[in-house]
Amino acid sequence: MANEGSRSDLSAPDASHHAEPESPDRRQFLDTASRTAMVAGVVGGYGGFALIAGKYLYPATTGDVMWQFVSEVEGIKVGESIRYRGPSGEMINITRMRREGTADDFIALSSTCPHLGCQVRWEGQNDRFFCPCHNGEFDPSGIGIGGPPGDAGQSLPRYELRVERGLLHIAVPPPRFASAEDRSGIVTADEGIVGPGHDPCLGCESDRPGYHGGEELV
Amino acid sequence: MSVASWFGDRLPISGRQFQELTNEPVPYHLKRWWFALGGTPAYLFIVQIITGILLAFYYESSPSTAYQSVEHITTSVSFGWYIRSVHKWAATLMIVAVILHQMRVFFTGAYRNPREINWVVGMCLLFCTLMTGFTGYSLVYEQLSFWGATVGANISDTIPFVGGFLKRMMLAGDAYNQSTLSRFFVLHAAILPVTIVFLIATHIAVIRMQGVTEFQFKDEDEGTARTFNFFPDHLYTELIIGLVLMVVLSALATILPATLGPEANPLQTPEVIKPEWFFYVAFRWLKLFTGTAAVLSMGFIVFVMFAWPWIDNWIRKHTRFQEASVWIGILGVVTIIGLTLWEAFARH
Repeated sequence: MANEGSRSDLSAPDASHHAEPESPDRRQFLDTASRTAMVAGVVGGYGGFALIAGKYLYPATTGDVMWQFVSEVEGIKVGESIRYRGPSGEMINITRMRREGTADDFIALSSTCPHLGCQVRWEGQNDRFFCPCHNGEFDPSGIGIGGPPGDAGQSLPRYELRVERGLLHIAVPPPRFASAEDRSGIVTADEGIVGPGHDPCLGCESDRPGYHGGEELV
Repeated sequence: MSVASWFGDRLPISGRQFQELTNEPVPYHLKRWWFALGGTPAYLFIVQIITGILLAFYYESSPSTAYQSVEHITTSVSFGWYIRSVHKWAATLMIVAVILHQMRVFFTGAYRNPREINWVVGMCLLFCTLMTGFTGYSLVYEQLSFWGATVGANISDTIPFVGGFLKRMMLAGDAYNQSTLSRFFVLHAAILPVTIVFLIATHIAVIRMQGVTEFQFKDEDEGTARTFNFFPDHLYTELIIGLVLMVVLSALATILPATLGPEANPLQTPEVIKPEWFFYVAFRWLKLFTGTAAVLSMGFIVFVMFAWPWIDNWIRKHTRFQEASVWIGILGVVTIIGLTLWEAFARH
């Protein structure tokens, strides 16, 4: 509105009274207008930059997933649970429930408690996941059944799995850097990675049938 | 109790006192844009601090992840390409502005008695800015970063007596290794910026103590006002310059964004290797003369630059060439531009 006003105010006298000396009103108006434009420029310019900076700092979530090899299907016994670390560091409990040899035999659940972020552990004898921080309890399918997660109706996030040629794969977020050192793989009780890591073919001939370079299988 | 009196009781300074403290009378010639070049590098330095802090949120100073983290900033992080490109272009413009400011001071003789100390402080600022530029492009860890740092370290190795020590301090060993990048990062993001802040504070303090050099131009009446107020008049000028610079930086960042060369490969020196443009002069000089002779002659030139107020004073006192500095300055500028263009267009 201010701009429209200024345009008509400025154009009318300019056209008809070309030689008229500057009036104090006009001077006052130009002074206010230029100050307003200056403040608008400063606020707009640096405000815009602040917005960009905020967006830059807010971590990007792409929603991308990649398929990673976990283990041979027969490497995990029924009732057994293994801990797996994804390429971007997330810890996942993978438990075998049945013996049919398909992906439905397994359930992969985040081992991070949705209450306050502690690591849950599988208790076979009690048939539950247990969080030691605030006595949170989850049933084998990850639904909260006791403690704070049970009260709040929180569940452990689930990861998608698939079996190809007897090998179990999991869909996990990709690493931050494509070429960063890959520390994903099965984790033992003392936090060490089991065996040759995530790649079944590490150290063997790359032309072996079924070799996928340990990376995306899509 | 009002908010103003609450603060007034605790901070014993009145608005009038504060205004007097900050309101340096600015000589009238600063109404000319050419003379606002001193504020320009200071403004660009603030841009560098802000964008630098933003970049440090994602940058990793380890040889195994440095390049990937820069790639991540450039391609994956929201507006990462913009922040990185503004940082790069502001660095380029800051070096240009520092050089132009120094040329203005030189050709107007503003370094003469009693302002010799501020000339030396300004020279220190110039070299800190160049060092920050050098360590900055070393952090990207592309081929130019690695080989630039290697060549730079080996140049300092040829300095008699202290060269070997300097090289080892710079590289954290006899050659580029796992610890080298951390040194460049600490220099670039902590030591040099803090040094620059102290030097700028000294630079401004000395200006405030001595007052800005006043010039009378031929087209000005004798009765023209000698000074005007820093606040708000000169601050408005600086604000306009700041906004124009933001537009220029954003345009440059969008049209010519910072690129990423091949990742550093310690086993293969590229066919053509050139430093950033602001080192073209030194690089060409090193090709014209060999080894220690080149380094020593360059050191001598740097010494002459630092000591110029005293050398100029001696020439003016003992010879009849009162304006020798202008001709020597023109010769210097032409040589610098000539060597820079030579290096820019020559393949080797």
